[in-house]
Amino acid sequence: MSTNNEKEKAVTSTGAIETPLPNHEAGKEENGSGGSILLFFIVGFVASLLVGWILFPKLLYSEKKQPISFNHQLHVEAVDDGCQSCHFFREDGSFSGVPKLAQCTGCHEEAQGEDPEELKFVEEYVAKGREVPWLVYSRQPNCVFFSHSAHVKMAKMECVTCHGPIGESTVPKIYEQNRITGISRDIWGRNIAGVKRNSWDRMKMDDCAECHAKEAKAEETAVESPMEGFFNNIVRITFPGTEKPGRKSSVQTQHEACFVCHK
Amino acid sequence: MKQDQARKYGMVIDLDKCTGCGACMVACMAENNVPFKEDESNKLDSITWMRVYQLTNGKSYPETDICYIPRPCMHCEGDHGHSPCVSVCPATATDYSIKTGIVSQIYTRCFGCRYCMGACPYHARYFNWWDPVWPNGMEKYLNPNVSPRMRGVVEKCSFCFHRYQQAMNKAFMEDRRELQENEYQTACTQACPSGAILFGDLNDPKHQVSMLAQPDSEHSGRPKNPKAFRLLERLGTNPKVYYISSREWVRRAGDNYLKNENPGKAH
Amino acid sequence: MKMDRRSFLSFVIGGAAGINLSPLPWKLTDDLAIWSQNWPWTPVPKDGEVTHVNSTCFLCPGGCGITVRKVEDRAVKIEGMKGHPVNDGSICILGLAGLQFLYGPSRVRTPLRRVGERGENKWEKISWEDALAEVAKNLSDLRSKNLSHTVACISGYSGGTVPGLFERFLTVYGSPNFVRTPSVKDSYELGLHLMAGVQADAGFDFENADYILSFGCGIIEGWGSPVRMFKANSRWKENGVKVVQLEPRLSNTAAKSDQWIAVTPGTEGVLALGLARVIVDESLYRREFISGYTTGFNELIQNVLKDYPPEQVSKITGVDKTTLVSLARAFASAKKPLAICGRGKGAVPESAGEVMAVLALNALVGNINQKGGVWSVPGPLSIRWPEPEMDAQAAGGMQKARIDGAGGKKYPHIRSLLHRVPDAVNSAEASPLQTLFVLESNPYYSLSDSGFVKKAWQKIPFVVSFSSYLDETAQNSDLILPNHTYLERKEDIPGVEGFHKPIVNLMKPVVTPQFNTMHAGDVIIRLAKKLGDPIGKAFPWEDTEACMEELFGDKWEELEEKGYWFNGNFEPPPLNKSFETASRKFEFMGEGFGAFYKEVIVKAPGEEAAYPLVLIPYDTPRIAGGRIANAPFLTKTVPDTVIKGKDGFVEVNPKTALSYGLSEGRYALLSTPKGSARVRVHLFEGIMPGVVAMPTGLGHAGYDTYLSGKGVNVNELMGPVEDSASGLNAAWGIRAKLSKA
Repeated sequence: MSTNNEKEKAVTSTGAIETPLPNHEAGKEENGSGGSILLFFIVGFVASLLVGWILFPKLLYSEKKQPISFNHQLHVEAVDDGCQSCHFFREDGSFSGVPKLAQCTGCHEEAQGEDPEELKFVEEYVAKGREVPWLVYSRQPNCVFFSHSAHVKMAKMECVTCHGPIGESTVPKIYEQNRITGISRDIWGRNIAGVKRNSWDRMKMDDCAECHAKEAKAEETAVESPMEGFFNNIVRITFPGTEKPGRKSSVQTQHEACFVCHK
Repeated sequence: MKQDQARKYGMVIDLDKCTGCGACMVACMAENNVPFKEDESNKLDSITWMRVYQLTNGKSYPETDICYIPRPCMHCEGDHGHSPCVSVCPATATDYSIKTGIVSQIYTRCFGCRYCMGACPYHARYFNWWDPVWPNGMEKYLNPNVSPRMRGVVEKCSFCFHRYQQAMNKAFMEDRRELQENEYQTACTQACPSGAILFGDLNDPKHQVSMLAQPDSEHSGRPKNPKAFRLLERLGTNPKVYYISSREWVRRAGDNYLKNENPGKAH
Repeated sequence: MKMDRRSFLSFVIGGAAGINLSPLPWKLTDDLAIWSQNWPWTPVPKDGEVTHVNSTCFLCPGGCGITVRKVEDRAVKIEGMKGHPVNDGSICILGLAGLQFLYGPSRVRTPLRRVGERGENKWEKISWEDALAEVAKNLSDLRSKNLSHTVACISGYSGGTVPGLFERFLTVYGSPNFVRTPSVKDSYELGLHLMAGVQADAGFDFENADYILSFGCGIIEGWGSPVRMFKANSRWKENGVKVVQLEPRLSNTAAKSDQWIAVTPGTEGVLALGLARVIVDESLYRREFISGYTTGFNELIQNVLKDYPPEQVSKITGVDKTTLVSLARAFASAKKPLAICGRGKGAVPESAGEVMAVLALNALVGNINQKGGVWSVPGPLSIRWPEPEMDAQAAGGMQKARIDGAGGKKYPHIRSLLHRVPDAVNSAEASPLQTLFVLESNPYYSLSDSGFVKKAWQKIPFVVSFSSYLDETAQNSDLILPNHTYLERKEDIPGVEGFHKPIVNLMKPVVTPQFNTMHAGDVIIRLAKKLGDPIGKAFPWEDTEACMEELFGDKWEELEEKGYWFNGNFEPPPLNKSFETASRKFEFMGEGFGAFYKEVIVKAPGEEAAYPLVLIPYDTPRIAGGRIANAPFLTKTVPDTVIKGKDGFVEVNPKTALSYGLSEGRYALLSTPKGSARVRVHLFEGIMPGVVAMPTGLGHAGYDTYLSGKGVNVNELMGPVEDSASGLNAAWGIRAKLSKA
């Protein structure tokens, strides 16, 4: 910083020869300018923090409402088999995801109550045979492969672990769509800094990797956490040939190979 | 979860049975959303994960003979998984899975440097010079299990890995961890009307592929079957695609053998 | 406070520091990365529930069962049907590409009426109502002028309900002119009719044969039912069955055979007779069969085989004597040898003489209606259409001679002779053909001598195409009434080409019709009703499905459920009941057809002096050459020595090329008496010197940009060669010359 200041001064004094008046003025301001420079620094600093932390997230996401205000809690209470009553596995091991209209009409051929949302649903969709354009919070880009079967059926994970307590909601939350990627905000997480408190707060690749690394460690396989991997990579590059062969799954990443999560 | 017994998926192609009909190529294109252009006669930029090459014995009429040789990705294991393409990828967009022996690829991660194409001695990798275009309405047949690729990325045969995933999904539903031989088959294997392509786990001695190729684990998987050979055997890529031919000139065409060398007795 | 430069810089630096301490740059980078990896124009196929629908492939006469994988309402992949008696889970290259036809750009999406000149490809969309009214008006006008017999239908297939409806329509309307496109099936039908006295299709028990002698058949290039043949070929390899291929070009079949013997093209029949001669001379024939179940054996020797001693045969066919003799011995000494003919895919009939020579060869080794032999296969189900009521006009029209002369005095045994239609039209002053229906066929492209065909076409006042695709015939019609594709309609397909057991396949709608198309069977039923009685009365069905249901009776349910009806236990009748000739025996020589052997050689048209070479078309599984053209996926697999850019290649032996100063890739002018084309030269050691070859199925003007304009339509260079014995067009080639271009 100091060298910069000196340079600045040098430049100003050169300028002074040709324009005496501003020189005088500049000299006068010199005392106060340290403060104003700092002030501008702080203004810029604070403004950009505000932009980065508050304005940017506001601008980045557009808000959309679900076509029907769906009450998960009510439905979970009414069905026998929890989430899988509507979000079920097909016989071939594929996961049905968001229910189709046909499933809803099983109960909602006609309105069951007085709820205006249900009436809207019956009138707009059931009667017209139109599929409801639900906005899916957990939709991933097309390059992602995810097997519900592997996680729920084989690893016996709970839905909540990734999806959170969505089954307890009475109204759907606002769907915030990333204007650049078109992906839901829930993938990056509500927290713009990417900090998560719960396992279901984020659904990025790193979140998958984090869990997989933990799982693998518990099984004493050679899968490393990202940090470990970073340092081990340095060791590997510096001392080639020292790695233990045969215990890891992937050659490049020490995690799983690409196709485990990509298609 | 327990570490599964490592599988090593591979292919055995019987060149005596292969008729060069090209069904494997189209089965692959239809299964894997491989695009097509108006003019595909420049074979350098024509994307064919599976390509059937024609070999000739170089003799003149009427002693001349031809043989067809289908070439998928060889899914080289190299030395402990150091396949030529995986080693050079600066983007970690391609990887070798020790669990399945498959060289996988994340298309969206690839940034198109094409080092892997240079490294691959089998020309099994293809670059998307253009964005794929399906004529109006034809995108209806696209397979949701394979993501369509965009301009600027490299793609190649995946041994229809999505079919493995689907087979595993079904197995998990039935509380199984193991797959039957016929549960995971590539699209080309399934389609081949001659039954020339076999696919399975080279590590499983009960699978047809290992019975036919008889890979020698002491010698980087070299086939013990004297009629079997691999392409560019002596390059050390340790490919997982084996070929069988009863014609000696075909076996010799698999690598640049000298006159006094016999590919059947290479080791 | 004024902001000077220093303060501004400070502000910027503060801003930069702040931004870097906010998530903005990192998040933005991540989002931009995701954005750049998922362009909005890269399609994202919708996922959903996977279902499978069983149906039948209709892209060739192979009759394979298919299983279509669907995701929700989209058809995503066509695979072979497991357990189907023909293809059991496998499928061919063309069948795999079927969805490119269904969703392809060459579909005709709605009825079209021509507005420009014919062939200009200018159309207006019209409603089905208007389209049917227009056809009905044309037909009733002709009928009122006593011209009902000037209406004809060219159909790419026969035997099923839909072609049956068309034929029935013509009958009650008053026209005998239902013309089926030709194939080697006609030759076998004729041969079996003459020699065995039966009306049956030829079936071959390939799976049980142990020696295959193929006279140019593209066993693995689409002959018969392609997938079945591929499977049989692999089975032969496993069981050590010897396959001998006789043809002038090293085709895939030749390359995969145990022995390839190059034969001078057109002389295959002579070779068959030469082999018969050796078998007779060396007494290698099956005495029991010859003495018990045949007549005319001695006459065959005295009148026919006497002209074909090995030396003579060797001279004609170019096969040396030792090869000939050892081939005859090997064939006759095999337990269940089988000889077959039909060049390439079998799209062109063989002469009566040749098919008889081949059947005679089979009879000598006693394998007619035997395990591993040639079987006569009756129609799969005895379907009886209700007898229609005919009015005077209909009866009168049916009395008239057919436009193609088939079934007449000259060619009593043949049902259709498509190649004679252009001749009939051109030779009369007023066209004897006023209205032409074209069903599942593309004659404008596939008929040879296209200059002549085009001239005839212009003389036909009204052409109606039922094509699902904008093929050449549709382009040159006046009205297109687009049929549902085979994946959108229900229709029965009886019989499978070359299959030895009776079978009926059912096409089923895999997806709902994608466009404003209509089932061709329904169109005919509606048209009949529009024309009123008695024509309408002959079509009491509401639609084609109702008609099929009635015709199949108690078999319908099984057919619908399984997708096919198959008589797996079928055995040919015992030899004493096999033959329905006058003598109740297999006749080597018979009244009225013994002389056909004399015309066993079919000459290529043209003068040798002017055209020193011979051009032969060849078939490859990678190019569809029949009523359907190539799908983009198939064209993609075609080597760059067959098509490069728009250029088509001609295969030339390097020796031949040298004598013309032509080298690989050079442009050349290929001329025949019927036309000429600019082609490029591909040097191929596998072709006989003096013979040049070009693939069928290229040079399309119709269809989409993925196909049209690529290569040369070899039909344009060819001309019909009528076998004077049968009337069939047995053209296998034409004389040609090459010059630098």
